[in-house]
Amino acid sequence: MQTQLESLLYRVEKPGRYVGGEYNQVVKPWESVETHVALVFPDIYDIGQSNLGLAILYDILNRQPDILAERAYAPWIDMETQLREHNLPLFSLESKMPLSEFDILGITLPYEQIYTNVINILDLAGIPLFSNQRTKTDPLILAGGQASYNPEPMADFIDAFAIGEGEEVILEITHAYQAWKRSGAAREDLLTTLAEVPGVYVPSLYTVSYNPDGTIQAVTPQNEQVSFPVVKRIMPKLPPPITQFIVPNVQTVHDRLSVEIMRGCTRGCRFCHAGMVNRPVRERSVEEIITAIDDGLAATGYDEVGILSLSSSDYTQILPLTEEIYHKFRDSHVRVSLPSLRIASFSVDLMDELKELSPAGGFTIAPEAATERLRAVINKPLDENVLLETARTIFEHGWLNLKMYFMIGLPTETMEDVQAILDLGSKVHKIGRSIAGNRVNIHLGISTFIPKAHTPFQWYPMDTPENIQSKLDLLKRGAHQAHLKMTYNLPEASLVESWLSRGDRRLGAVILQAWQNGAKFDAWSEHLNLQAWQDAFSRVELDPDFYTLRQRSLDETLPWDHISTGVSKHFLLTDLCLSQAERTREDCRNSCYNCGILDCFESTRPTQDDVYWGCP
Amino acid sequence: MNETKYRYRAVFSKNGDMRFIGHLDLQQLLERALRRSGLPLRYSQGFSPKVRLNLASALPLGFTSSAEMMDFWLEQPMEPSLIQQQLNSALPTGIRILSVTEVSNDFPSLQASLKAAEYKVSFKAGVDVSAVCANLEELLNEPNLIVTRRNKQFDLKPLVEALQWEEDKLYLRLSNRPEASARPDELLALLGLAPEQYDIQRIGLYYS
Repeated sequence: MQTQLESLLYRVEKPGRYVGGEYNQVVKPWESVETHVALVFPDIYDIGQSNLGLAILYDILNRQPDILAERAYAPWIDMETQLREHNLPLFSLESKMPLSEFDILGITLPYEQIYTNVINILDLAGIPLFSNQRTKTDPLILAGGQASYNPEPMADFIDAFAIGEGEEVILEITHAYQAWKRSGAAREDLLTTLAEVPGVYVPSLYTVSYNPDGTIQAVTPQNEQVSFPVVKRIMPKLPPPITQFIVPNVQTVHDRLSVEIMRGCTRGCRFCHAGMVNRPVRERSVEEIITAIDDGLAATGYDEVGILSLSSSDYTQILPLTEEIYHKFRDSHVRVSLPSLRIASFSVDLMDELKELSPAGGFTIAPEAATERLRAVINKPLDENVLLETARTIFEHGWLNLKMYFMIGLPTETMEDVQAILDLGSKVHKIGRSIAGNRVNIHLGISTFIPKAHTPFQWYPMDTPENIQSKLDLLKRGAHQAHLKMTYNLPEASLVESWLSRGDRRLGAVILQAWQNGAKFDAWSEHLNLQAWQDAFSRVELDPDFYTLRQRSLDETLPWDHISTGVSKHFLLTDLCLSQAERTREDCRNSCYNCGILDCFESTRPTQDDVYWGCP
Repeated sequence: MNETKYRYRAVFSKNGDMRFIGHLDLQQLLERALRRSGLPLRYSQGFSPKVRLNLASALPLGFTSSAEMMDFWLEQPMEPSLIQQQLNSALPTGIRILSVTEVSNDFPSLQASLKAAEYKVSFKAGVDVSAVCANLEELLNEPNLIVTRRNKQFDLKPLVEALQWEEDKLYLRLSNRPEASARPDELLALLGLAPEQYDIQRIGLYYS
């Protein structure tokens, strides 16, 4: 394997992607452990290597003496061609073992446009694509990650999904696997055993029936041992951040030390999948974060730190944290970036320190909508004057590049709301020029709204491709005239994402067919093949518009209703009604709106004062 | 002016899978290893300070080496063997520091003083080495050996400084100056040999 592989490496670009050997990689003698887990990121190494979730699981699994975890990624097109030409199976980086030799493949699904790559990886590994085709000798195909809160489109291919945070459940699953393997029982027994682990969803143990109109009639568990709904897992107290990161030898995205300061968000933006599914807010202490930065820098040799959270300025200790970071690192050669700041006066207080810690960085703000009305609809209230004042302060502190994120296609959006994006961009540009002249750049980042599962907007249809196109046309023309830079995602890419994120179990046939039609690397705009998807839908006789352009009825059984994020459907419905009344709900850390999280998890809430939960 | 502080020169090897790590990535890797090592590093001045580190010569992707060289600077003088030890504990498998010496700041940079490089070529099973030997001899009888690199043509022949066979290994000494450097794989390509048919190890760098 190793020698054959070597000769291929001379024929592909960036062969360093495929060889592993990085600092902090863990290699255990294959025969020395009982259980072999391959952690798979279904895109290339360059994209997947920095994934924090997999890094955490790698760390946890490799701490167990009887388990090893290795890594695998999707090969780039050139390497795939070589592997197929030479009949070589896809392999792990550490031991160069074929994936089919592992006991468990843990595949992360951070976003939906990665699904065809999962199929491609299984195919390259020589593992049967369908769960029901696998036998006792095939690996267990396990998936998790943010996209698996709607697991249905991938239900045919995945044996078991771990819903929610993986730190604890990964070992419970592996231990259940070990017990099953030692027992020598049938593969069906493995699946029923796993289904008893809290947070594990085994799709083959649920039957889905459909109404004549194509909507779901019922999702029925096959017996009483199977949980219904499957409730996600959380870590009531976040474990200390990992610091022994693998340091890539070739350039990758987010090639820096990542330190997660908190999980969850209390803001309740109605479009935001991450904000709804990652509740409750749990924080780490400043001390723990600083220690993790120190240890992480020493262990990796990085000179750049990325502070991770959904909304950094909502971290209750943000000022003490930045003070501490500032004093520690201002005279060092370490750059620190703190993304996801909300616009608020105390963000402004941080600016001098931030500017000094990351001198080359730009500044990003995300109003998401440009009129006060629409911001009320999406529950991201923000006074325009505050925004303009913040922009002024940003320019006064020496930043020249300001990026502003907006969405188009939001519920109730009109052309006036879209025009307002340009007007707001121009106002900000004018302020910037009055302070720093023509060197100021305003960059509009436009994304298309997709009504995501488990959010108050989950019942809404997506805006039509025609509307999206005319909104984009308006913005492109206007941005050009107003000398604003603008980037946007391809409407085609949003379509594929919307089908896959809003789909039901029948989408499995579409995904398979699309892959057979040549779809892969759908997240890469240059590889996105919309025709392959459209042909796949017509081939399996499903209407794509059924999934995206249809207003779903409030009493409809949604494909993901049997997966519980802890947030109740009742809460989502109430929030939808408030949205329609253009009413906002302020940050729920001050007053609880009874979203359901506490009903679900309060019994696990730590009692110590040093463990901060965002819930009142 | 004591601007540059204490200059050290390390000879290191690059083996195994590390041969698939390119020059710029190696530079980054060494910077990070230097930071992990805890040595009192000298940084460059300016807007975004970098570890001061100079590599002698880019090693082509796929080559191994027992003779790579780098210069780096420390804020305080240190025992070279201690530097070597600290650096080695911070390096990934496949990169090893073989020696460290202190060098004067008056010495020219590694890149500027490099003259030639020596390579050892081992052929993989299935390659008829005696035929290669004969073909190479014939080839070197040609007046010119024109090769194309990055759409530019140049004559390889005057850059071949020495050539020797030891058993079935080919030793090549090739010019490696900023304005004229030759690659052994370019010569082997003229014989119709592909990279997967041989291993190339750089075994010496020669500088003035």
